[in-house]
Amino acid sequence: MNGEMLSYLIIVPLFGAFSMPIVSLAGRRARGAWALLISGTTLAVGSALFYSVWKSGGVFLYTLGAKSPLGQGVNFPIRIVWEVDLFGAIMVLMVTLVSFLAVLYSLSYMKHDTGLDKYYTLIIILELGMLGIAITGDLFNFYVFLEIMSIASYALVAFRNDTWEGIEAGIKYMFVGSIASSLILLGIALLYGEYGTLTMGYLAVKLTQNPTVVGKVALALFIAGLLFKSGASPVHMWLTDAHPAAPSSISAMLSGLVIKIGGIYALTRILFSIYENSVNMKAVGWIIIIFACITLIVGNTMAVIQTDMKRLLAYSSVGQIGYILLGLGIGLAAYGSQTGEIALAGAIYHTFNHALMKALLFLIAGAVIHQLGTRNLNELSGLAKTMPKTTFTFLIGAAAIIGMPPLNGFASKWLIYESSAVFNPLLGAIAIIGTAFCTAAYIRVLYTFFGRPSERAMEAKDPEGTMLWPIIILTVAIIVMGLFPWQISDKVMIPAAKALENQMAYVSALLGGA
Amino acid sequence: MFGYWDALYFVLVFIVGLILAYLLELWARRSGMGTREIGDGTKIFLSGEDPEKVIPGFEHFEGHYTGRNIMWGLTYALKRFFTVLRREHTGLLTDYVSYLVITTAFVLGVLLIWG
Repeated sequence: MNGEMLSYLIIVPLFGAFSMPIVSLAGRRARGAWALLISGTTLAVGSALFYSVWKSGGVFLYTLGAKSPLGQGVNFPIRIVWEVDLFGAIMVLMVTLVSFLAVLYSLSYMKHDTGLDKYYTLIIILELGMLGIAITGDLFNFYVFLEIMSIASYALVAFRNDTWEGIEAGIKYMFVGSIASSLILLGIALLYGEYGTLTMGYLAVKLTQNPTVVGKVALALFIAGLLFKSGASPVHMWLTDAHPAAPSSISAMLSGLVIKIGGIYALTRILFSIYENSVNMKAVGWIIIIFACITLIVGNTMAVIQTDMKRLLAYSSVGQIGYILLGLGIGLAAYGSQTGEIALAGAIYHTFNHALMKALLFLIAGAVIHQLGTRNLNELSGLAKTMPKTTFTFLIGAAAIIGMPPLNGFASKWLIYESSAVFNPLLGAIAIIGTAFCTAAYIRVLYTFFGRPSERAMEAKDPEGTMLWPIIILTVAIIVMGLFPWQISDKVMIPAAKALENQMAYVSALLGGA
Repeated sequence: MFGYWDALYFVLVFIVGLILAYLLELWARRSGMGTREIGDGTKIFLSGEDPEKVIPGFEHFEGHYTGRNIMWGLTYALKRFFTVLRREHTGLLTDYVSYLVITTAFVLGVLLIWG
């Protein structure tokens, strides 16, 4: 049953997405209920998978079309496999949870929009693409899911085609995103040409036996393409166009999930599960660290001078990706040491935390836009008086993203600060400077919210029903996770980092035909 | 060594922060805009903003500008840095592609030499 569970993660959303146009014929309510049911079921499967993987501490494997990934009469894998370790399972939980909340939020948020059959189809396809990336153990299969996710994202960014902003951002995102995807595809083609396999675990074996220059060129293409997808600076500019232009429920998924799964997770998986023993980890680690430092400074500083609330949040996402990349980079450069392990655990932890925090902040931004019809910070003053619940949850989200104890962002950032300070004090200092800018950016928003109410703000009111519940659930999650930081770190994040570093287990699950 | 944190430290730092904020408030009150105990004299100077003030002809902005200048000191001090950053964020697709190409070339170069 363990492996079979993986197939439901794909079957359920796939069925849900393609049956949506038919269900839509039954009316608006049926469409919303169907989307909610599908994403809820996927969440249930995702949660069960996470729990099973966490409890077993092993790697789950599912082979498409056969019992064993190995070919008949040969001892190497020839079939497409889905392979999930604890790191992958955490990502699955993150994707299914935030997607479910985004769908729930959309029921009220999108009620004045048309073309919702396409919207819900795309949102579920987006979730499907991300889940595929999180569970796949095959490099070409990974590319297919990456494209499914990316194309759904391009379409959703330009979903509201009555404004120039969405269309322009969507076209830019699609054009430059396709170039990045092409780099990744080229890398896959190079590896296939050189080693004759696309199975990640088996590629790891082949690369370890015979590391070549072609393998390194392919890695460079992967790193560049995936840094782009994760929104790292200096290739982050598409992100700050695309994420604010999308409907807020989609912004929450883009900033909360897409850049993590399509960028950070994919990069981490490729580096650890394929290249761990065949490249100079220190050199690769320092490449990531350099981009991380640029990203966290540029993202957080640019957030300070934004007047558009959603653009500020988008720049903040860039800044937070910098922290995650810093953890990942140190995890690579200090590979094999406790510092490296803690940094990697911090990166995984912050990936999860940031998904919750940024989803919350974008959903709040959506509620504010819904009420006031503007994203301009200069026109949002005094919201605290008329939208107290929204402002309070924003306060929690902002405090968490800054890294204020006792909220969840603190624990993950602390692990990254501590390991970076031990690894190289200069990196620790850069991380703290980034946080100072991040604090400045959010204080501006909070000061505006708590300022003297403008006429416009006096007419606003808190969201209700399905728009409020996702916000409350995310706020509670942030607070509760903040109360048990080290338990989560010790029991989930550090074992996930260990599982990621253990390439042998990943390979033997595949070759053993589990 | 790793992951050590005590909630009591946070409470302590929070209390110290509150005391500092109170002292700052007292200081600002003393050296604010005036010497009076009531009226405009009690207002604290905050980055040149006066939320009560309505500029004739700009009444529609009333209450809209609170918070805008709160980080004025920071942005002014780093004016040059921000100018450079703003200049690079052109919004042009060709620039986005250029940065992607430069990034790819950099990563490829480093990996071929040290990888």
